[in-house]
Amino acid sequence: MEKIHLQHVLPKVFLQRTDIVSDVWLKDVTFEKERLYLVEANSGTGKSSLCSFIYGYRNDYEGKILFDEEDSRQYTISQWTEMRQRHFALLWQELRMFPELTAMENVEIKNKLTGFQKKDVIRGWFEQLGIADKMDAKIGQMSFGQQQRVAMIRTLCQPFDFVFVDEPISHLDDTNSAIMGDILITEAKRQGAGVIATSIGKHIELNYDKILKL
Amino acid sequence: MNLVWKLLRQHISIPQFAGFFFANLVGMLIILLGIQFYNDIQAVYDGEDSFMKSDYLIVNKKISTMSTLTGRSNTFSEDEVADFKSQKFVERMGAFTPSAYNVRASFNMEGMARMSTEMFFESVPDDFVDVARDKWSYEEGSTDIPIILPKNYLDLYNFGYAQSRSLPKLSEGILGAISLTIRIDGNGRMDEYQGRIVGFSSRLNTILVPDAFMKWANNVYVPAGTTKETTRLILEVNNPADDAITSFLQDNNYETDQDKLDASKTTYILRIIVGIVMMVGLIISVLAFYILMLSVYLLVQKNSTKLENLILIGYSPAKVSLPYQALTVGLNVLVFILSFGLLIIIRKVYIGMFENFFPDLVVPSLVPSMVLGIILLLVVSVLNIFAVRSKVLSLVRK
Repeated sequence: MEKIHLQHVLPKVFLQRTDIVSDVWLKDVTFEKERLYLVEANSGTGKSSLCSFIYGYRNDYEGKILFDEEDSRQYTISQWTEMRQRHFALLWQELRMFPELTAMENVEIKNKLTGFQKKDVIRGWFEQLGIADKMDAKIGQMSFGQQQRVAMIRTLCQPFDFVFVDEPISHLDDTNSAIMGDILITEAKRQGAGVIATSIGKHIELNYDKILKL
Repeated sequence: MNLVWKLLRQHISIPQFAGFFFANLVGMLIILLGIQFYNDIQAVYDGEDSFMKSDYLIVNKKISTMSTLTGRSNTFSEDEVADFKSQKFVERMGAFTPSAYNVRASFNMEGMARMSTEMFFESVPDDFVDVARDKWSYEEGSTDIPIILPKNYLDLYNFGYAQSRSLPKLSEGILGAISLTIRIDGNGRMDEYQGRIVGFSSRLNTILVPDAFMKWANNVYVPAGTTKETTRLILEVNNPADDAITSFLQDNNYETDQDKLDASKTTYILRIIVGIVMMVGLIISVLAFYILMLSVYLLVQKNSTKLENLILIGYSPAKVSLPYQALTVGLNVLVFILSFGLLIIIRKVYIGMFENFFPDLVVPSLVPSMVLGIILLLVVSVLNIFAVRSKVLSLVRK
């Protein structure tokens, strides 16, 4: 997939509002591969909704989301499955990890599905992010910041044309944020993918091609 | 271990599944046992007479002292036959055709007595006789006639004649291999035939030959113009326990062998009882299925976040449904195997009891109940698979 095209998209809950000033809602926006985007938002402006709409998790919106000019509302369940395995990676703000599994198992459950990353690459990321000793600890017993790092590793365990990261560093210090940004950019470049990051203030320091205000 | 299974087995309630398992086991066993027992008991009834189904009734007019003295006919007129045929309880009806020529049969056994006797033939429409077509047919010009003898004849010989003369007793099998010499004369002709005993009937007190032979012989050996009269009727009724039958027979002064009516009643009632028992089994199975569906729904509901997250990281709904589908289908297969095993054990016990009473019993196969069991298994499994799938899909469609 080459581009994501948003045409006059607006969450249905905002339909009554007349005061919307945004670079995304009700606008014509295109995200392209190999480019870096930052979507900055205040709380309650629908940042996570945007991710859910594009990812096919929710469709309570007006307007159209087009993948290579094809309406994503027409996608079948198997097309969405294919999308999520091969074309889109999303790091959810709420992470969506499995607390019953260990950190490594949480990553493996994705990597076994796609068979994409080598085991030592994954181990390398654990080490770079300083959580190598937590590999076999249950996710439920880890702090949110540690979980965020594991979730980032899991997100990268698949081929993608675009990677969405929804507030990926909200609970990280600057050093770890920088490492995370580095890993993300390296992997996205390797795959020639587009990166769309969101933030409500603190964001990964990257050379963004475009910054959009939500 | 498979990570998806490790996640999805959370919240599996062993008591719920055990409840389903035993309930379904009982239901399935009752259904299978019902059909198998019915088949087996039917074999016991049929075993007595494989040439005539026990549902057939043979009806004749009562012969009383009065009718003998007054010379009143004991034959059925055409009107009477038509009236009988129009009764609601009659499914099929046929007339006995008696022979109007002389028959003499003799058989030789080496080193034994030569027996010779006057006799007669009768025939009924061929579809009332349960013998393979190629064994029960006659072609014009052939000297070979298939015959069904009353079992009484064999008993008379074995327990009366042979006993008093110290002659060897004969089994049905041996007699079947012996050929009778039949001499028929009438209308100025006399011919010899070979009679081949196809079997013995305890239901019919007559010597039966194929209808085709009877029609042909009555033309050849009987002077034209002789009227053939019907003295006995054979009929198939839809419900032998019907009161209408008894009252119709009484009103018209007809009689039938009460025993046979009773035997028919017994099988009819047996069929109803087995039907009820199987229905109970089916209800138990349906309820068990309901328990299973409820617990699977509950399981999917409890694990809905996990299922949703799996789908959101790229697992297909089919893939996440698979563990639960495999679980339910596996349980069904286990129930089927176990209930079939129990069926075999229980059956061994009662077949042993049957065999004490009916040594000649041909034990029917297990195939019908196995087929029924497999059909049930497939239906329930397919329903389970669809139910799980639609439940999981309901999580996706928002």
